[in-house]
Amino acid sequence: MSTTNAPAKPGRSLGRTLLQGGTVIALIALIAFFFAMRPDVFLSFTNVKNILFQVSILAIIASAQTVVMVVGDFDLSLGATSSLAGAVAAALMLGGVPMWTAISVAAGVGLLIGLANGFLIAYLRLSAFVATLATMTSVVGLAYLVTAGTTLFSLPEGFNNLGQGKFLNVPLPVYIAIVISLIIWGTLRFTTIGRSWHATGGNQEVARLSGVNVRRARLLAFTLAGLVSAIGGILLAARLGSASAVQGSDNMMFSVAAVFLGMTVIRSGMANLGGTMVGVTIIGVMSNGLNILGVNSYVQQVVTGLIIIAAVTLSSLKNRER
Amino acid sequence: MNAALTTEDSSHTIALEARDIFKHFDGVHALSGAQLSVRKGEIHALLGENGAGKSTLVKVLTGLYTPDSGTIVQNGSDVEFANVRVANRAGIVALYQELSIIPSISVAENIMLGEQTPNRGGLVQWKTLRRGAQEQLDRLNQTIPLGKLAGELSPVQQTMVAFARALATNAQVLILDEPTASLTDTEIKDLFAVLRKLRDQGVAIVYVSHRLEEVFELCDRLTIMRNGETIITKNVADSNIDEVISTMVGRAAGELYPERGTATSTVALTVEKVDGRKVKDISFTAHKGEVLGIGGLAGSGRSELLRILAGAQKHTAGTITVGDKTLRPSPGVSRALEAGIALVPEERRSQGVILSATIQDNIALANIPGVSSFGFVSGSRIVDITRQGMLDLQIKARGQRQPVGELSGGNQQKVVLAKMLARKPKVLLMDEPTRGIDVGTKAEIYRLIRELAAGGTTVVAVSSELPELMGMSDRIIIMHEGQISGEVQASEATEEILLAYCYGKADSHVNN
Repeated sequence: MSTTNAPAKPGRSLGRTLLQGGTVIALIALIAFFFAMRPDVFLSFTNVKNILFQVSILAIIASAQTVVMVVGDFDLSLGATSSLAGAVAAALMLGGVPMWTAISVAAGVGLLIGLANGFLIAYLRLSAFVATLATMTSVVGLAYLVTAGTTLFSLPEGFNNLGQGKFLNVPLPVYIAIVISLIIWGTLRFTTIGRSWHATGGNQEVARLSGVNVRRARLLAFTLAGLVSAIGGILLAARLGSASAVQGSDNMMFSVAAVFLGMTVIRSGMANLGGTMVGVTIIGVMSNGLNILGVNSYVQQVVTGLIIIAAVTLSSLKNRER
Repeated sequence: MNAALTTEDSSHTIALEARDIFKHFDGVHALSGAQLSVRKGEIHALLGENGAGKSTLVKVLTGLYTPDSGTIVQNGSDVEFANVRVANRAGIVALYQELSIIPSISVAENIMLGEQTPNRGGLVQWKTLRRGAQEQLDRLNQTIPLGKLAGELSPVQQTMVAFARALATNAQVLILDEPTASLTDTEIKDLFAVLRKLRDQGVAIVYVSHRLEEVFELCDRLTIMRNGETIITKNVADSNIDEVISTMVGRAAGELYPERGTATSTVALTVEKVDGRKVKDISFTAHKGEVLGIGGLAGSGRSELLRILAGAQKHTAGTITVGDKTLRPSPGVSRALEAGIALVPEERRSQGVILSATIQDNIALANIPGVSSFGFVSGSRIVDITRQGMLDLQIKARGQRQPVGELSGGNQQKVVLAKMLARKPKVLLMDEPTRGIDVGTKAEIYRLIRELAAGGTTVVAVSSELPELMGMSDRIIIMHEGQISGEVQASEATEEILLAYCYGKADSHVNN
């Protein structure tokens, strides 16, 4: 077949620019809207700090989701994994295990769950949907077992400080989220495994025929995602000062939403960490803004779903443009 | 030239005519004065290199694009097609390479898709539907079960169903874009029979193809386009392949294939008794500086052999030796690359390049070990090897960061080559190195293959086009049902000998 005759040139039209920057513009509009509604509160230092604090855990889990989605898969078990990791850390500490040992074991549990997902998907060739749905189910069960169906609290002061402490008047989780997302950004961008992830997500067969070890790349992506989401879950337990079997589960859908929103930020429409952070910020700003306006949290959930639909529609419109 | 354009005489009825069509995109002229005049009851070849404007012209004729200026005349009166549906209704139907059948519904429904479904109170009148569908299949002399799901049909049957649908919409002008790309030789024969039948029924057929041999076998007249202009229209009987090529390229065809004579006697690749899926007991050697062609019918195991050599497919027995280093069994792509074997695969778009990724990301893909240290990739080294590759292969692009999907087929193929050549392979395997690329770029690829050979690389190339096989190779191996059925020096090869081997007729030509 003869190919398109006109070399495809990126358009510079206003419409396309709007479509291109749509997600970022939406974020700015959202901020402007809430600022206009409550100029006294919304952009105050305290509230901005609040937003950052609120999104820090989501940012960590969305980073993990980004890695998996760069490879072209997705992981439904990340939220459950984070809950389980928080519960394991809490249960061990309540049982007298030293804090850092408990944290390491809990992170290790997350890593193992990720490894299991990766093995099922990359080596046994299950679909990511089936495999992570199944592990999610089991992991939630494990989390109920660990917590005995209750909420574990009275955690050590030192542990709670990880989630509630401040440095220069900014909560510690904000710093941790920034460090973790920077590490993942650098890994995706500058390391050989990061390039293998991009290649695998772009086209598995091409990557394989180019000598990329596709199976190992997918295995490592899920493993890293499991580890990182466990860290997020441990931090969440520290922030709340307690651990329950379901406290991380909301973050699964929100993390997927953030990555989807982020995919609309760049031209190629691929998952990317910078975009994910824009997505996380949109979700955080919206939730915080609606809270300030006194909107019911169930309504917030409805709005989040609508925003995902809007984002995906936007990106498919953009692909049609290309 | 203009004289050639005005060869119409009154004894023929013109079904569809495009006059002085201009069309530009983003300031680039895709068509500048294109002409096409198709008679009722003829098969008319529309030829030109990639980018000559064939596709754009077809899209203008079928209402997909609105021309900037120019007129379309159907049966003597000016027409304008606002969209594809209007053109279809006027009897102009284009069938593209990616067939437009719906695999999940029945043959009958596919055929009658363009029509109002016969129904009574919302219930489908299956009898009427099937009768209508059968009528169209009868016109094509096809016996395809009407109730079967279209997805279960063979490629040629699917093509036939698409034809039948076009007929059901009462197509007067049928435009075909590379209809034989996925068909075997026998299927092509069937297709041609049907096309001739349609022609005899008065349908005007526009046939877009890169396969000139087919054009000369099938078509009545041809129109050649170059740079968006129509260069010439003439009877196929009054033309020949060399003339067509030189007109398409805009210079004398000259030597499409460079001179041979770079092969040495040093053995570079030894394959011994290799077995694998679709491949049985393969043994051969290839030399430094040699271009070894591998031919055979589709399904004869050619591609599988290359994939085994490249480590992309497992082999169950036998050894592969590069120079004096024997590879471990089923080494995997990465180790095969390290040993110096690189593969340029058959399907460029699904196996060769990541279309959404940039040129430099694609080239980096096969060179991760070369552009990284301690697990970190070096952006500047990627830029360097990409610059080198784009320079060596003269890849035409806006820059290193242009997505490969935006390039022409020929330039995409060059990116695949650049990606592998950056590994400096000792043995370069190429599966259909010029599939779907235009004549000008073909010549470049042949020259490049020979330059690589002259530089000491061993090139093993699979091709299903016999002239290409004979032109580019030093020596040719033919496969039949997974085994080597013959071997011949390219200088002594004829199409007859090669075809005999292709069909497994080992005869007096074989010495071993």
